Amino acid sequence: MTRRWPLALFAAAVLVAGLVPAAPAHAQKAFKMGVIVPVSGPAAAFGLGCQRGLEFAAEDAGVFTVGNEKYKVEVVTYDTVYDPGKTVAALNRAVYNDGVKYGIIIGAGVHPPILPIIRETGFLDLAFAAAGRQLTNAENPTVFRIMASSDQLYRTHLVPIIEKLNVKRIATLGPNDELGKNDAKVVRAQVAALKGKGVQFVGEEYYERGAKDFGPALLRLIVQKPDLIETDGSPTGSIALIAKQARELGFQGYFLNSTAVLEAKAISDIAGKAGDKIIALRIWAKPPTPLYTQLAERHQKKYGEAAPGTLWEAYAAARWVVNVIQKTGTFDTKKVADALGQSTFAEHPFGPASWGGEKNYGAKRQIVLPIPASILKDGKWEAFDVRPGKFE
Amino acid sequence: MDPYLHLLLQGLAIGVLTGILYVLVALGLTLIYGILHIVNFAHGEIYMLGAMGVFYLQVVAGLPFAVTLVLIVVGSLLLGAVVERAFFRSLRGQWLQLVVASVGISLVIQSVAWIAFGIQEKNVPSYLPGIVEVLGVRLPRERLLAAGVGLVLVAVLYLLVYRTKAGLAMRAIEEDEETARMLGVNADRVATLSVALGFVLAALAGAFVAPIYSLNPGMGLEPILMSFIIIIVGGLGSITGTVLAGLLVGVLQSVGAVMFGAEAAYGLVFVAMIAILVLRPAGLLGRV
Amino acid sequence: MRQAALALVLLALVALPPLAEPYILHVAIVVLINVVYAEGLYVIMRMGYLSFGHAGYIALGAYTSALLSTELGVSVWLGFPAGGLVAALFAWALGAVTLKLRGIYFSLSVFAFAEVVSAAFRAFDVFGGPAGIAGVPRPMFLGTRLNTHLGFYYVVLVTALVSLVFLYRLGATRFGFTLLSLRTRHTEILAESVGIDAARYKTLAFVISCFFCGLMGAVHGHYLRFVSPFVFTFFLSTDLVIYNMVGGLGSFWGPLVGSVLLTALGEQLFAAGYYKSLVYAVVLLVVILALPGGLIQITRAREMGAARRLGWGKAPVTTAER
Repeated sequence: MTRRWPLALFAAAVLVAGLVPAAPAHAQKAFKMGVIVPVSGPAAAFGLGCQRGLEFAAEDAGVFTVGNEKYKVEVVTYDTVYDPGKTVAALNRAVYNDGVKYGIIIGAGVHPPILPIIRETGFLDLAFAAAGRQLTNAENPTVFRIMASSDQLYRTHLVPIIEKLNVKRIATLGPNDELGKNDAKVVRAQVAALKGKGVQFVGEEYYERGAKDFGPALLRLIVQKPDLIETDGSPTGSIALIAKQARELGFQGYFLNSTAVLEAKAISDIAGKAGDKIIALRIWAKPPTPLYTQLAERHQKKYGEAAPGTLWEAYAAARWVVNVIQKTGTFDTKKVADALGQSTFAEHPFGPASWGGEKNYGAKRQIVLPIPASILKDGKWEAFDVRPGKFE
Repeated sequence: MDPYLHLLLQGLAIGVLTGILYVLVALGLTLIYGILHIVNFAHGEIYMLGAMGVFYLQVVAGLPFAVTLVLIVVGSLLLGAVVERAFFRSLRGQWLQLVVASVGISLVIQSVAWIAFGIQEKNVPSYLPGIVEVLGVRLPRERLLAAGVGLVLVAVLYLLVYRTKAGLAMRAIEEDEETARMLGVNADRVATLSVALGFVLAALAGAFVAPIYSLNPGMGLEPILMSFIIIIVGGLGSITGTVLAGLLVGVLQSVGAVMFGAEAAYGLVFVAMIAILVLRPAGLLGRV
Repeated sequence: MRQAALALVLLALVALPPLAEPYILHVAIVVLINVVYAEGLYVIMRMGYLSFGHAGYIALGAYTSALLSTELGVSVWLGFPAGGLVAALFAWALGAVTLKLRGIYFSLSVFAFAEVVSAAFRAFDVFGGPAGIAGVPRPMFLGTRLNTHLGFYYVVLVTALVSLVFLYRLGATRFGFTLLSLRTRHTEILAESVGIDAARYKTLAFVISCFFCGLMGAVHGHYLRFVSPFVFTFFLSTDLVIYNMVGGLGSFWGPLVGSVLLTALGEQLFAAGYYKSLVYAVVLLVVILALPGGLIQITRAREMGAARRLGWGKAPVTTAER
């Protein structure tokens, strides 16, 4: 027993350390931008992309003047592990303890409890989240969606893709959550509009997020003989497995996806030849701008791995906001939000960006920018050119 | 063939193969619980380490498969022995502490794994790509291989426990430890051996299932859940029970999903488990 | 001495908050909620039942109150006890079946139930499906809705104090002591032999445990103004077990100490995600090995020393055999 006391005291000391009041993160002439995202756990790729994108943006924005003072962007990270409770804790800490008023927040599933806090404090939320109208609407003037939302993409891209492939039978297989169910709804609606051309919606199946065996769900779909299986809401690993298992069961058709942080190599590693005929939105087969390539190479050099898909959009959002802050000469989030919503940004790595969504969402808080489609062939992405519709 | 009949047969085939995979994964847990009545929550993490082992040793370091397997077996053997001496030994008899300690160990391994293994999903290329078609039912070769390995390990385990002296010692300890000690059985060594073997079984399961799915540090969570369900339904401590329950759950899940949808099947398995526990609290073939 | 310390803490909890900034209030609210969860779980843990599924009952309480207030416009004040009652009801129904099981069988069946609850909430749109229910309102008090941290803090404080006082006194009643006698299968048989209806006691204990968890779950839901299946997960259940084990099962104060310290520690590790899990797990293992009686064992140092010198054997009253 005597030998155990040091261990026990260590444990107690660690725990008591937990009660030390939180020291706010730095207090100089920093313009703090928070990343309230998952940086560990299954969704870490999304979060790390945002964090790193923000850090690159901080480097590139350098020292800038607002009013009569000089400022530098300081990135503060809060790990949410994609949990709603932890996101609430993170935002509380950011806004009330650390004086952070601007930030990137990931996750449709974690936004509902923080929207009231955002409204009450005027926090300017650069949201990397789906959930369409529920997030970006007239009641949340400081919430901006900085990525193309999946329902937006289905409204603009699905019909042209179906027409180009000349397929007739569409099915969906998505995770059994908000994102999956919402996307299935939008796909259904879009396909219904094509009824006159003989296109049918033939099945919708769901799997538990994190599942690895899609065999049974796929079987139910395959029996309906679909030509295209839309796999939205599914992460990279899942798509690769879905493709692999579907081919094992004899499916020869196409797959469509728009939210995964897809990297060609990852898919071909897992699925091999089975990954062919996956069509992904938001994947660039050819870099759209020099800035895109520069950021990709910078990431590869610094971290030794390929950049997660959220890197470029996070970078752009940060640079854009700093631009607008400089122009308006204030950090007041309401004023900046107004100005931001009216502005455009030509230096987005994907191409010229602006805001839209007035018609579909009731507020101009949805980013509108060039979105590509690519198709996987022999383990490499090839451009799949379609003429997307307009998103209002 | 009628498409729906074909669908059902295909579902059944997948179910059986998946069921045997579950059994393969659950074997290590069965052994440790059967002999020592220790619920090893870290089981899923050892499975994950086995899979990661194949990735880092074979894919990244380029070692031949046989060498990789040997290293994995030795590594898990040692890890099991260490865990038993360091944690389980001092907590023998304290069921609550043991369970929670194994949860703690599992969390430690998982957290370290997330930190160490990074964000990109990893993959082990298939050992035996391609499919085999039997009566119109398509069976992926790598799953057949894993199922084969599973059946072999079941046989090996059975032989070990029921036909060897070490196995006899294990069964003696399980039945009545005090008397066994009095009759000269070195209970401590048996305990270490059982845990070490349990870890080896878990790691081997991970190694052979690795190419079927993708790898990530959280991959141990689902198998351990399934393993628990299976050994409880089958009856803790019974190898045959584990096999039966594994097949039952696999087929139920697969055929249930084909007929009613994946979400319903998921709930169905839990409901079935509760039902069996109510009707036969010791499991299908359990004693105690 | 202890009375004075308690009175001081109570005074601080009541009088200091108006001076505190919102983040501190947030932490205080979360700590109070976790303490009640942990003490609720403690009721059955000291009886030898390990539950990995308490999040299911918490969820039932939270969803009940959320649905009542958003769908039926019921006052939140009624929603809280309603949540507790619904959780208690399910506990009573399930208890009849699962309390007969011991050890790991019980743990897994409660866990299974929690998963079924979660799956049910995800599957049906009436429960909001995977997106959950947003816009869950705060209660009204004297005409204003308690949307501020400070206002709701007092709601949480009052609920927590009432619950904790009840749970504390429960341990000192004859009922409470009888529960101790049911800790293992052997002692349970012994108890039955002197006429104690073990099944009834166990069921009542389970019902009480889940009532308070459901009650606090409702409070939790109204704090977040949101409920979803991803808020009340298996990880929450596991955390509660860890609070109990680290604090110590030997007395009422154990889980309280465990949950306060670990929750506060968790908030400090805000940037750390999986490092936080690692720290929790390491602390847990260290405590289990070094201090089987949990952290409160430290306060018993003098007793332990005396017991050891008198040769009275190892760990205090904490274990529950299979």
